[in-house]
Amino acid sequence: MAMDVVLSAQGLTKTYGAGKDALQVLGGISFAVNRGEFVSVVGPSGCGKTTLLFAIAGLQGVTSGTVTFNGRPVTAPPKGVAVVFQDYSRSLFPWKNNRDNVAFGMARIQGLSAAQKRDKAQEMLDAVGLAGFADKYPWQLSGGMQQRVAIARGLASQSELLLLDEPLAAVDAQTRADMQDLLLDLAIRFKQTCVLVTHDVEEAVYMADRVVVLTRRPTVVDHEIVIELGKKRDQITTREDPRFLAARHDVMTSIRGQRAHAPASAA
Amino acid sequence: MDGFSAFALLLRFRALVSFLIIVAVWQLVAALGLAPEKYFPGIPAIVSGFLGMVANGELAAAEWRTLLRAMLGLAGASLLGVGLAILSDISPAFRRGFAPIAALIQPIPPAAVVPMAVFMLGLGPKLYAFIIILVTVWPPYFNGVAALASVSDIQIRSGQMLGLSRWQILRQIKLPAAMPEIFAGIRYASTISLIAVVVAEMLAGHDGLGFLLVRKAFAIRIPEVYALMFVCAANGLVLNAIVNAARWQLAGWHLRMTGQPA
Repeated sequence: MAMDVVLSAQGLTKTYGAGKDALQVLGGISFAVNRGEFVSVVGPSGCGKTTLLFAIAGLQGVTSGTVTFNGRPVTAPPKGVAVVFQDYSRSLFPWKNNRDNVAFGMARIQGLSAAQKRDKAQEMLDAVGLAGFADKYPWQLSGGMQQRVAIARGLASQSELLLLDEPLAAVDAQTRADMQDLLLDLAIRFKQTCVLVTHDVEEAVYMADRVVVLTRRPTVVDHEIVIELGKKRDQITTREDPRFLAARHDVMTSIRGQRAHAPASAA
Repeated sequence: MDGFSAFALLLRFRALVSFLIIVAVWQLVAALGLAPEKYFPGIPAIVSGFLGMVANGELAAAEWRTLLRAMLGLAGASLLGVGLAILSDISPAFRRGFAPIAALIQPIPPAAVVPMAVFMLGLGPKLYAFIIILVTVWPPYFNGVAALASVSDIQIRSGQMLGLSRWQILRQIKLPAAMPEIFAGIRYASTISLIAVVVAEMLAGHDGLGFLLVRKAFAIRIPEVYALMFVCAANGLVLNAIVNAARWQLAGWHLRMTGQPA
């Protein structure tokens, strides 16, 4: 393959507990993410999406399998990977103003003076549309604005790979659409490779170049589909495009099918 | 002036208003003779007793020593309490080992510690340090342990993603996040510290407010005894103001976030 693989997961399994209380969450997940790609990972509720994301980020070990980032195995959070968490209110630091919260994202960047970090943080806040809010604190902002600060912090770390853990699950529908477009713009502008983990099928298809569809527990990759809608997306026309609708239908069918099976085998 | 602005004025000077109400009720009880005047003097007698002790300098000397002991004791106990809380956070083995010791020592009243402390440490600064810290260390310790344990896992993971060491996460994330709750403990401890100092001075001291109070009581100088009681109460305000100033410095964001007045 000529593609430049940034992230690769091979046969990831994760079992919590042992003996008869053992719960196998991940059943051997394998997929890869190429440079510059926006990949959505979508699966039924409770399929271990967050466990998978934490494993990729090096925040949590797996029972077996390997994650590699730029060819090196991931055993701890690697430099060059940033995470935007779902729960922005518990991820930002309420004792720091927004500028300092964003500047905190640069903790791993060497050779920057405090003044340069401040300027860079301001630049990132400008990029997410919060130019005038640098001196405010996160708790003075609305939920959507707080998540923008968290995104700015992720971008500020100058990571190649941005992991998005249902970042828009807690914001209202209107804000959500705006922020989907913001994220897509930023991904292109800052040449970020992105992995979005979500349970929202529409969002997964709308955002992604490729969707990785997961099964229920113990979770494996059901199938992948390439979304051939180009990089430029639009909330109205993209969502009406037959290719969007076909992809949405495909993913939705798969996930609903998974859900329908769940109660029978859980017994 | 309409009713609303009169109420606003009352609200503005609420502390003063409450104080004046207490003084007025006190004076009313004394004036009505509900209690024997000898044991329940009126406000003028108490004020003159107070002014007498101010004039001969004994109040200032006693007050300064007591306040200094309480402040140093509180500072020491807070540092020790937070230090032990950090140790408990780093080492679960220490936490489990220390819990029964804490549970045993904590309920001992300050007065019960004094005789043993006198035998062990004699009469002097060591005695005060020991007693104050032994009874004051617990609120900062227990609040610190609880607060450090409940720091958001997402905040900690945010630090881990940036390659922060355990120590950096403690310093840059866990401690700032825990600071408001730690200060709630220190605020509570400040009262305990004042009580412990006065009790120690009463039982084993040769100076300070507690000692002066006992001396005046034995001399049946009732107005002075009441005046000293009021001074003890006022010390609570002084220490509270000092703790609050530190709290604004170290956890002011939390006070602004929750919209709490000073």
